[in-house]
Amino acid sequence: MIELRNVAVRQGDFLLADASFAVEAGTYGVVLGAAGAGKTTLLEAVAGLRTLERGAITLGARDVTALPPEARRVGMVYQQALLFPHLDVAGNVGYGARGAAIADAIERTGVHALLGRDIRTLSGGESQLVALARALASDPRVLLLDEPFAALDPPRRAAMRRTIRDWQRERGVTVLHVTHDVNEAALLADTLAVLDAGRVLQSGAATAVFAHPDSPRVAELTGAENVLAGEAEPVEDGLVALRAGALTVYAASDVRAGRAHAVIGADEVVLSARAPASSARNSFAARVVACGGSGSLVRVELDASGVPFVAVVTRGAARELALAPGAAVHLSFKATAVRIC
Amino acid sequence: MKRRAPLRHRSILAALAASVLLLFLALPTLTLVARGGASGVRGIFGDAELRGAIALTVLTATISTLLAALLGTPLAYWLARHDFRGRSLVQAILDLPLLIPHPVAGIALLILLARGSPIGGALLAVGIRVVGTPLGIVAAMLFVSAPIYVSAAREAIADVDPRYEGVARTLGDSFRASVYRVTLPMAWRGLLAGAVTAWARAASEFGAIVILAWQPRVASVLAYDRFTTFGMREALPVAAALLILALVPLALIRALGGERRAAAAQRL
Repeated sequence: MIELRNVAVRQGDFLLADASFAVEAGTYGVVLGAAGAGKTTLLEAVAGLRTLERGAITLGARDVTALPPEARRVGMVYQQALLFPHLDVAGNVGYGARGAAIADAIERTGVHALLGRDIRTLSGGESQLVALARALASDPRVLLLDEPFAALDPPRRAAMRRTIRDWQRERGVTVLHVTHDVNEAALLADTLAVLDAGRVLQSGAATAVFAHPDSPRVAELTGAENVLAGEAEPVEDGLVALRAGALTVYAASDVRAGRAHAVIGADEVVLSARAPASSARNSFAARVVACGGSGSLVRVELDASGVPFVAVVTRGAARELALAPGAAVHLSFKATAVRIC
Repeated sequence: MKRRAPLRHRSILAALAASVLLLFLALPTLTLVARGGASGVRGIFGDAELRGAIALTVLTATISTLLAALLGTPLAYWLARHDFRGRSLVQAILDLPLLIPHPVAGIALLILLARGSPIGGALLAVGIRVVGTPLGIVAAMLFVSAPIYVSAAREAIADVDPRYEGVARTLGDSFRASVYRVTLPMAWRGLLAGAVTAWARAASEFGAIVILAWQPRVASVLAYDRFTTFGMREALPVAAALLILALVPLALIRALGGERRAAAAQRL
């Protein structure tokens, strides 16, 4: 397992403050945060490459706080491959290799054909594969990944994700992966920690963090596009009304009266030409402000009595509804789709 | 159109100014080669005293450069990688030899290492004489050339992203191993260029050496001695031979620079 207890690291004016969370042994942990949140600093602290101001780090059953990086048995892959330029591909992959792990690493990553190559002749994707092979060949107990897919094209990114996930599951290794990409976090994470401005805002099982963000900031960082601030007031058992601007939004919640935020996923917002006859408690007339997006989904920005909303619909539905800036529609969502925080 | 003419005039003026400076820098050297090049080559082969002086210069400059590299590389690493209290003091200590007149450096070293001084006396007590020996020449050369090496080495090491060392350490290297296996091999061109420049500076030193060790004579002291004793005619072969000696590191530095540019171009 990986456990951080009140870890604080100072780097110039930046402070990673009291970071605490745990990733169970043999699972995949993701730290999600925007640029500058302190993700790399946190990862380097786990690797032993940063001196802690306070706090403790446990890897496996061992407190490694005082151990140097070489004694922690961690593998590290950065966003930039950082291949050693004075060595060829084989030299890089074999740099810290242990036993049979090197053959397994070469096979999994498929870098056989690259072994004799000068690293300066590799493409960005090939370099990243070699960097991954180098880390896996050292047979780490913990693999630390610092946005390793950011520079890759989508097919290679998907392939590399699969490679790492398969390796992690088969070997029972613990992974800690930092990223700013919500989709990547949702795809990979068993455990999720949300990091913002040097602080861990929330951590836990990924499904729980995505479903129940503690705060509007966590909701934003975990990809919730509709976060409405307002005054909450219980209206009946298990149902809360939140007044946000000109709208009253109903949510299935037992929150007390007071200032609160309603979080609604863009994929929970249903658009229709007329007011729906469904059981959805929340239904508002709205006007399309903008719509766009590539692929099969269309992101629609709406205005409902001055309150902005975002919905995601299929391209077919967008055509049927003739969605275009200025078009009048109805938006609706269930009270159970609203998270109050 | 009105604004273009002054611009063109300014460019012409700038080109003329640059040409004057370049000519001023190149002409003395070219004249020396033209007038004394042949006699210099002959001198290297036929003049035993000159040959001895050049051999001594090469030997002492090499020893001083090796010492600068041995003692200066850890300091350069520290300066490149760490921000510490007293850093500006260390930097000032390194800059000082480059800023003070070299005879002043020679006088300072003489005061420090002469037999009457505590350090000079202690060294003499264990049989080590510095003043007037090759050791004095090495000391003078080291004083003026080590800062050049440290400065170049610091830049070369700073150019290596410290995350490479971090990766090496997660792959099992100790700190020392990561420096030897990753940082130094990645910085070798810069380190070598720094060493070559420091060697050239040491080999061409006169001011500090002439005060600390007039004898045995290195090439620069021999050139000065022949000029003041016998005049230009006798000094010319020595000066030309020194110039030829200086061309070797110059060519090496150019070659290293070319290789660096080629490597950078290949990366693009």
